[in-house]
Amino acid sequence: MEVRQGFRSLFQKYLLVLFMAVATPLAINAVIEAWFGYRDQRARLDQLLGVQATSAAAEIHDFIYGITNDLGWLVQLPWNDEPDERRRTDALRLFRQAPAIVTLTLLDHRSLERLYISRIGLNRIDSRTDRSFDPAVIGARAARTWFGDVTYNRGSEPHLTIAIFGNRPSVGTVIAEVNLKLIWDVISAIKVGKTGFAFVLDRPGRLIAHPDISLVLRGAEEATSRPFQAIRDAIGSAGSTTGRDINGRDVAAAAAPVAGPDWTVVVQQPLSEAFGPIYSALKRTAAILAIGTVIAGLLAYALAHRMTEPIRRLEEGTERIRAGFFDHRITIETGDELQRLANSFNRMAADLSLAQAHQERIARLRRFLAPQVADLVDRTGDDSVLEGRRTEVVVVFCDLRGFTSFSAGVAPEDVMTVLSEYYEALGRIITQFAATLISFTGDGLMVLVNAPVPVEEPALRAVELAVEMQRSVQELIAGWRSRGYRVGFGVGLASGSATVGRIGYESRFDYTAIGSVVNLAARLCASAADREILMDAEVAEGVGGRRSLTGLGNRQIKGYDEAVPVFGISFDTP
Amino acid sequence: MRPMPIGESMTSAELNAVTCGRKFGRIGRRDVLALLAGAAAWTSPSHAQRLAIPVIGYLCPESPGLFASRLKAFHEGLGEIGFFEGRNVAIDYQWADGQYKRLPALAADLVARNVDVIVAPGGAPVALAAKAATASKTIVFEMGGDPVQLGVVDSLPRPGANITGVSSLSVEVSPKRLEMMHELLPTAAKLAVAANPTSPTVNSQLEKLRSAAEILGVGLEVLMASTENEFEAVFAAVTKEAAGGLVFTSDPYFAFRSGQLAALAQRYGVPAITQSRDFPISGGLMSYGGDFVQSHRRAGIYAGRVLKGERPSDLPVQLVTKVELIINLKAAKSLGLEFSPSLVSGADEVME
Repeated sequence: MEVRQGFRSLFQKYLLVLFMAVATPLAINAVIEAWFGYRDQRARLDQLLGVQATSAAAEIHDFIYGITNDLGWLVQLPWNDEPDERRRTDALRLFRQAPAIVTLTLLDHRSLERLYISRIGLNRIDSRTDRSFDPAVIGARAARTWFGDVTYNRGSEPHLTIAIFGNRPSVGTVIAEVNLKLIWDVISAIKVGKTGFAFVLDRPGRLIAHPDISLVLRGAEEATSRPFQAIRDAIGSAGSTTGRDINGRDVAAAAAPVAGPDWTVVVQQPLSEAFGPIYSALKRTAAILAIGTVIAGLLAYALAHRMTEPIRRLEEGTERIRAGFFDHRITIETGDELQRLANSFNRMAADLSLAQAHQERIARLRRFLAPQVADLVDRTGDDSVLEGRRTEVVVVFCDLRGFTSFSAGVAPEDVMTVLSEYYEALGRIITQFAATLISFTGDGLMVLVNAPVPVEEPALRAVELAVEMQRSVQELIAGWRSRGYRVGFGVGLASGSATVGRIGYESRFDYTAIGSVVNLAARLCASAADREILMDAEVAEGVGGRRSLTGLGNRQIKGYDEAVPVFGISFDTP
Repeated sequence: MRPMPIGESMTSAELNAVTCGRKFGRIGRRDVLALLAGAAAWTSPSHAQRLAIPVIGYLCPESPGLFASRLKAFHEGLGEIGFFEGRNVAIDYQWADGQYKRLPALAADLVARNVDVIVAPGGAPVALAAKAATASKTIVFEMGGDPVQLGVVDSLPRPGANITGVSSLSVEVSPKRLEMMHELLPTAAKLAVAANPTSPTVNSQLEKLRSAAEILGVGLEVLMASTENEFEAVFAAVTKEAAGGLVFTSDPYFAFRSGQLAALAQRYGVPAITQSRDFPISGGLMSYGGDFVQSHRRAGIYAGRVLKGERPSDLPVQLVTKVELIINLKAAKSLGLEFSPSLVSGADEVME
């Protein structure tokens, strides 16, 4: 459990790393792009507003210039002392042409008023009032074209006085009063973007022109003009600014001067509109970033899944193997190291499976074969040696004499102690002689020599086996006798042809031999007295002269019609 | 859906229905109104929406026929702000049909009907009647005189709490008319002036005309007329008094009867000048006055802006800068007169 503490899955790690690897550069790129985009747009906007301010100023200038140009026609001809009807006609014609002009005053070369015409008041002809000390006249004499300060007629309509001095003194001076309300036609036609507009301030900062005429008509009031002045002052020499307008909207504004009357034209555009391209670019970037992040997430998920899924399968595989399912196989088709690992895993599982099968077989073989025989059978790799066949074998039987009466007389623990000592001794000898243990029942034992694996000199080996058995058991018997147990041990051998092979069902298999030789060996064992080893003629023949055998004559054996020749062998008793 | 309080804005159709039912008495009408409004509000949302559109009370001194050109200009101005009668604004018309004495009663009636804004076009009497009727309801006037001098507003840039409007310069330019008549008839020792004694501006106009006559060195014969029946007597007096020409003071009553005056001028062979362009168009000699198309259009714009929620105190009184001179050469010819070149060149319109 402690191992699980602080355990972070590989999937999470991969997911995080892969996601960051894609999303981080994307985010950095988006931020950089947005920043530079904003700066570029901002610069472009300032430039654009500046151009629009200049163009608006040019239009206002054209309005004024148009009037001064018209006025110029009235100061072309020299004056004389006679009344001048033609000038009156010209002046009235100009009135019709320039609706902004409210009054016109013509002065002769001595600055005497010769003609005054008005749209409202009565005209004056040849009043000859001396106007030489009029500031307009003084100004016009100095600068040829003179612009007065803007005045507000009855506190409402802005008026401007323009005076023009002719190109030579004899042509006199013209003074015109211009109603600036008519700039409205010009100013209302100027559009900055969709909802932006322009307005005009005079030198002290009073509103002269604005698309909303009602503001202009209150332009003389400080309260009306102050917000507009604030914008103009904020722009200053920077060329453009952003701020709040009179309605509290955020605006971008730029200014340009109007040459001549020394006014300022300000163009303003709501920030929401001016920054529209910036906002849409930012939105676009944000959208791309969002989509990119989603894609990065999906990509990271897919990749992390692809990398960790094989690992998960490998983990699952090991668990299955651990649970003993050796036939479990892992399928990974990634075409990389992980696939190699899976293949190696599968090979390991196959090997484990083989090894287990081998183990099981060995265990099975060892039940009735001597270990070395079992290994031999195993090494040959097939169980064909265990197949049923007919072969020459030597069958050895042995059992204890008087065991039944003994076992009835003593405690079961003592019986079992005797038996375990007995089988321990015999088992060791069977293994030593590479004989095949067929079965044991109670105190009796059947051993096969030359099957399933053939050996050299089977008869001799069987006889030596029997001798060794007798010697060992007799040693034990000596011990038992000292404890008061009265048992003996006899062995019988027979050689001949028998059917050998595996018999049994499912996993319960035994190796056995069937034939008269088995019966003979069993009968010989039964007829053998304690300390006696009886064998048939065939065994004796097999031993030849290599061991001293004793002919015991013919004996009547149960199941055989004729008496059977029997041989014995003596052995050294300890 | 907004439940409508009793007596709030209604469509003109319903108002007409109410007008018809006036004879049933005030209390009865209100009850009917409340029932109507309640039923409309409950039955269908579209009705409720229509009830919510603003209503303009249009106080008119004349009859619809005489006022058609002014009304058209007014509608143009409203349209500029985005209001169109029958679509998003209703207009409740009150016609005085030339009986200016009825104006105060009609104005009071409009106030009682709780219209959103009262438009008082066509002269100082209308504006004064509307102003007298209410101190809270917004009034947009259109007139020829000086609204400050007449006491209609406090000042041009800050007109007052509930009233603003447009003034043409017609009244201001009365002396100019005398000057032009003098220029046309430089030899005439005496010129006649027609004035309406009921006009609020009559005294100031006559005063200005007298001082102008003094400057011009011409005698004045002042003739009074306040009804159509007196017009003929005026023209007869011009001939009888041997005055050279007839100058009409600025007065809406005269202005709206330009056709009648033109016919009389032709019949009596009297050179005359009035404020309205309708006069030379109908065969009169000439006119000099403010452009009524402009002034009525601007009144429409102001009415629209008020409906949009602007306070009248923030809307300065607008003066119509354009003063137009219209001359009729045919009329001059039939009178055996000739316009001086300066008059012709100064004319905004010359009718051949």
